Amino acid sequence: MSKIIYIPDKLPTPPDQQPTVNVFAAVVEPKIINNLVRQLNQIVPLENLRHVKRVQKKHLEDGKIQIALILCLASENNCDLDVLPPCVQELVASHKLSAFITKVCKEAATTKEEWEEQCKLWPTSYHPPAYNIDGITGFNEVDTQSIFGFMRLAIELAQSSSKSVVNAAVIVDPSVRQVIASACDHHISFENASTSNINGETSFEKCPKSLGSHFDSYESIIHGTFPSSSSLAKLKQSCADVSCLYPLRWFDQPLPHSSNSCCWHPLRHAAIAAIESSAARDCRLFPTLETVGDKSVEMEHMDLLRKLAKRQKIDLDNANNNENKVGTDGEGTYSKLGRPYLCTGYDIYLVWEPCIMCAMALVHQRVRRVFYAFSNPSHGALGSAHRLQGEKSLNHHYAVFRVLLHEDVL
Amino acid sequence: MDSSVEDCSSDTLRFMELAIQQAKLALNNLEVPVGCVIVEDGMVIATGRNRTTETRNATRHAEMEAIDILIEAWQRDGLSTSEVADKFSKCKLYVTCEPCIMCASALSIIGIKEVYYGCANDKFGGCGSILSLHLGSGEAPTSGNGLGRGFKCTAGIMASEAVGLFRSFYEQGNPNAPKPHRPLVNHQAGQ
Ligand SMILES: [Zn+2]
Ligand SMILES: [Zn+2]
Repeated sequence: MSKIIYIPDKLPTPPDQQPTVNVFAAVVEPKIINNLVRQLNQIVPLENLRHVKRVQKKHLEDGKIQIALILCLASENNCDLDVLPPCVQELVASHKLSAFITKVCKEAATTKEEWEEQCKLWPTSYHPPAYNIDGITGFNEVDTQSIFGFMRLAIELAQSSSKSVVNAAVIVDPSVRQVIASACDHHISFENASTSNINGETSFEKCPKSLGSHFDSYESIIHGTFPSSSSLAKLKQSCADVSCLYPLRWFDQPLPHSSNSCCWHPLRHAAIAAIESSAARDCRLFPTLETVGDKSVEMEHMDLLRKLAKRQKIDLDNANNNENKVGTDGEGTYSKLGRPYLCTGYDIYLVWEPCIMCAMALVHQRVRRVFYAFSNPSHGALGSAHRLQGEKSLNHHYAVFRVLLHEDVL
Repeated sequence: MDSSVEDCSSDTLRFMELAIQQAKLALNNLEVPVGCVIVEDGMVIATGRNRTTETRNATRHAEMEAIDILIEAWQRDGLSTSEVADKFSKCKLYVTCEPCIMCASALSIIGIKEVYYGCANDKFGGCGSILSLHLGSGEAPTSGNGLGRGFKCTAGIMASEAVGLFRSFYEQGNPNAPKPHRPLVNHQAGQ
């Protein structure tokens, strides 16, 4: 059986091992809460604990509700109540509060399980990943079959050269289940590589093969079955020429004998070549926008995306109700705009987990989801050697999935 | 970062000045203003500037442009892969902004000798800001499956000029700011 697993942005912390910090808190009368919270937020904002809620509501056994409030951070070793800052001390005295020390979770929860555990200590808020990408919470049967289909296509492409097994990439618009671009590694030379270079031009743009020239009908591959376990095992063993696995191997290659030597390029890994091919398609299909399109068009689009992203930042309470709606909104907006902005909204299928260069290229090109079949232990950037999808500083984040094919061979 | 701004020789400044010229060219084409030059034996052998908007390919950074020019030229001259690798191992790159994670990794794959850059890249920097790919793994570069090779890296060369260009770019980007006349698309001729 094959299945799709989500590769999270960071290794999840076991819910019961989450780091905590000490805070001063006090039980307060409901009627003064608003006032007190406002004052505290002003004088001692919880700067690095934005996920922690200031107020805790507890249902007592006698049916009454007890409300406690975080006053301010406490030191980790000195639990003396005297160390309350003077301004807080003043509030405590004027309202006759009795401060106590309690623990709250230091980091924002990254999963629902972590969040539920956190709230046992003190309530926190939980924001599911801001980008709220379809599939993180699972795929339905139709999507699953479509994902398997595109991965089959990538695997077929990886073995399509008679010389050697390479990495292959297929970029797909999932809203219409259409292949946008595809490419294989071109980092080393294969004698019969690239037949598309009829004019003998040495331009690299000519090198990536389009899927069309390879497969007259890729429908049959998408709807076919996966290669057998044994042939997949063989594929994995003959991976010595896969770019992302051995990025430094390009200069060990013997001198190419064919005159068609333009077709090796140490950086032309499958993902890079596929991005180039999809960019070329964009220019071909929407040629006029290049001259009309000044930056204001782009800016407008970015604003829209930013608004969308903002709208998707919702509390979990609303998340379940809104999940479907937000998803449709997003799709609808992209397709209405017509011309794609880079690979926004697109998925990419790779046979092997990409190296760091390719993974960063996919960030730059704004790919929405990355699917790979085999991991790349020494150079993989999406879970193995690095976990680029968890790099907070980046301006774009995609979701990463591994498609497990016949678990027995893996 | 092995930043050693003191050893800013006049050569270093001269080459960075040329990289800034490339960045200005990018700015005039409404591209994010980053430019670079690649130097071998004290001679500029390739230049590059950001062309992400024109190509609609967000990976067409200045460094990638310059690298492609060299690979294309050396292949035309009939150089083998090991000869190309040997060439790159003698090249220095001067770039106005810290190479991003993608470009830093690319520079490590081709085996560049040394990199000088202007301002840091707080969002994507691959030479100290976010990742430190220039440090490599210290493994022998000859093994095909070794981790990335490192390269010497010097930060902060003419950083304020580089930042100034970014500032002009973002001011241009403001829809309320007057729009500069867009020059005719001028395809960079291979060198
Ligand atoms: Zn790669
Ligand atoms: Zn870059």
